[in-house]
Amino acid sequence: MTNPRKGERRFALALFLPALLLLVATTTLPLVYLLWTSVQRIDLSMPWLTGFAGLANYAQLGGDARFWSSLGLTFIYTATTVVLQVVVGLALALLVMQVRVGQGLLRIAAILPIVLAPVVAGLFWRSLVLAPDFGVMDFLTRALGLGSYNWLGDPQLALLSVIAIHTWQWTPFAFLVLLASLAALPPDIYEAARLDRAGPWQRFWHITLPMLRPAIVIVVILRMVTALSAFAAIFAATGGGPGTATEILNLYAYRLSFTELNLGYGAAVATVLLVITLTVSFGLFALRRGR
Amino acid sequence: MSKKPDAPASGARRRIVQGALALPALTAAPWVLRYAHAQGDLGAYQSAKVDWRQAQGEQITVAVIPAGYFDALIAVTPEFEALTGIKVRYEKVPPGQIRQKAILDLSSKGTTYATHAADPMYYDLYVSNKWVEPIDKYLGDAKLTDAAWYKPDDMIPAWRGANSVKGRLYGVPFDGESTLQIYRKDLYDAKGLKPAETLDDVMKNAKAVHDPDSRVWGAALRGFKGAGQNMYIYPSIFRALGGEWFRGGSFNGNSKEAVAALEWYVELLSKYAPPAVRNWNWPDLADAFSQGTLGLYIDANTSASVLNNAERSKVLGKIGYARWPKGPSGKRVSSIWNWGFPINAALSDKAKRATWLFISWATSAETQARTSWKAKGPVKRLGLNRLSLWESKDFATLAGGLGSNFLQASIDSMRQDLDVEWRPRMPQWPAVGETMATAIQAALVGQQKPKEALDEAQGRIAQILKS
Repeated sequence: MTNPRKGERRFALALFLPALLLLVATTTLPLVYLLWTSVQRIDLSMPWLTGFAGLANYAQLGGDARFWSSLGLTFIYTATTVVLQVVVGLALALLVMQVRVGQGLLRIAAILPIVLAPVVAGLFWRSLVLAPDFGVMDFLTRALGLGSYNWLGDPQLALLSVIAIHTWQWTPFAFLVLLASLAALPPDIYEAARLDRAGPWQRFWHITLPMLRPAIVIVVILRMVTALSAFAAIFAATGGGPGTATEILNLYAYRLSFTELNLGYGAAVATVLLVITLTVSFGLFALRRGR
Repeated sequence: MSKKPDAPASGARRRIVQGALALPALTAAPWVLRYAHAQGDLGAYQSAKVDWRQAQGEQITVAVIPAGYFDALIAVTPEFEALTGIKVRYEKVPPGQIRQKAILDLSSKGTTYATHAADPMYYDLYVSNKWVEPIDKYLGDAKLTDAAWYKPDDMIPAWRGANSVKGRLYGVPFDGESTLQIYRKDLYDAKGLKPAETLDDVMKNAKAVHDPDSRVWGAALRGFKGAGQNMYIYPSIFRALGGEWFRGGSFNGNSKEAVAALEWYVELLSKYAPPAVRNWNWPDLADAFSQGTLGLYIDANTSASVLNNAERSKVLGKIGYARWPKGPSGKRVSSIWNWGFPINAALSDKAKRATWLFISWATSAETQARTSWKAKGPVKRLGLNRLSLWESKDFATLAGGLGSNFLQASIDSMRQDLDVEWRPRMPQWPAVGETMATAIQAALVGQQKPKEALDEAQGRIAQILKS
């Protein structure tokens, strides 16, 4: 007599196993390999030093000025782009809610930047929008009498530019999610508020915002993870330059591993980024559950 | 009337006779033609006392960059295949990725690329990992090389030097360049200027022709960040000013010569170059010069073919060339840039032999000529690897139309200005080159002062080199 429940479990396991194995092979193993690499000294340009390094790579981070400036840039980049996306996305959603005709078209238009590959977005901005003399942006600033700027060649402007590129590409995501949530808000609460003579600002502050809260938190989490793992658009637009002005942690890890060939140290930097991303995500999820 | 009935009959007979003759000829044609073709075309190679067919049946893959000079090589490769029975597959990898792809293949002992277009600065790295074979093994083996035919010593000595580590050659130069001043002869003549002899002259000439209001900038140099971009130009200035990359065996990137070189670079670009120059690599410079907006730029002599593109260039007939200007010590320093072919050490012995046959074929004088003035396609290479070819009449005819003094400046430069120690030769070059490039750019865009940028780079490089 075989236990039917046992057989069922076995069958379930058999169905589940291929997916699990695939997941382990494509995500867990590389992750373990990354951690393992980060405690080795693997520098292809100095093969004679190869060996177990313990935490030496992590210790080295402390004295690496470029790592700290890169970490700072990552925070600036992430915070700015996420705040901008939520604020602009929410403003757009509120505006579009008022539009009665053609809302569908606006939604389709909003999807376009999202479906572009980030590397394409980066190249597009680099060569068509921000190029000095020929770019759309320069055309605008000159037409407005503000003069011509080297958008990607000046350290401060370059940072602003890559923030603008990321915001441009991903604000539509925030916009669409918030628009959908706005549309789902129950109209009777607003009617009641109006009867109680709540002004538009009061309605927004005390009703709309609290009710959108879950949607906003989700948007913030997702956008934050995307911003922390941003790579292709910056790589295509500035390559981390000029100098190191836009070299966020991701680009620094890439440069260490694949340009400087210091794989062990590059893995340590990538691990730090991984820990930061996980901490931030868990923190935000906890915040969401807490309420 | 009497002739007429005859005519078709004799015509028909003739056709039949012809047909009878033609039939075997027709069936044999591919073989005969190929044989005749091979006889005519391959004779120049078959005169070498080498068994070209010793590795027949092998297939090798060669990574190259998408560039006219490799297209010219690809175009004649069927001749190599007919000569040796070795099949060659090319993979075109953009220049920004070919080093990484090659390293990935070499470090994993994969044998995807039997050989690849290699950066001369990478041989130290390759050799310290034992990823590539010493070439002298192949050059010295009479079964593999007929030295009298191949004439390895005819190849530009500094390129061989650049591709050597501790005196042993690891990659054979296929195509290369020297760095020259490329200037607007018409503008210079109008102002009575001579091409710059010294670094100071460069500044003076740039000032004299600088007129941004009519869209002419005095001078420009590669400004984009990268080991092959700003770190291509900077070393020449640094060396001309007497800089030495190593002092007492350790890296020395912030000496007073280093700072002076960067200050000169920053001054020239900020005073006399278009603002966008900090993002420019050589194609952007060539475009700007072709459009007539630059008085001078200093770059590879092989850019001459681009500048003389009749469809795109507005400066045809107005281009002049001169050697790199001298530093205070009288030294002129050109890049030793060349694309060489190394042999992947992970290959089987037979594949190594096949790869060597390919390399010796591609870099032989005959193939160099067939990809240059003898080439049937539109691209006729300029970056030939042998001085004897540069000094040949045929090449002079090809190079004659490229502008004033092109050939002489190139030859003088390749004879006298190529500097093997142009850039710091060390296995850690990828990291060092990148760090220097970042520092140079930080100074060029005004993020840091030259001294500050170089001090920081020096500190970082010291940390990288710490063992």
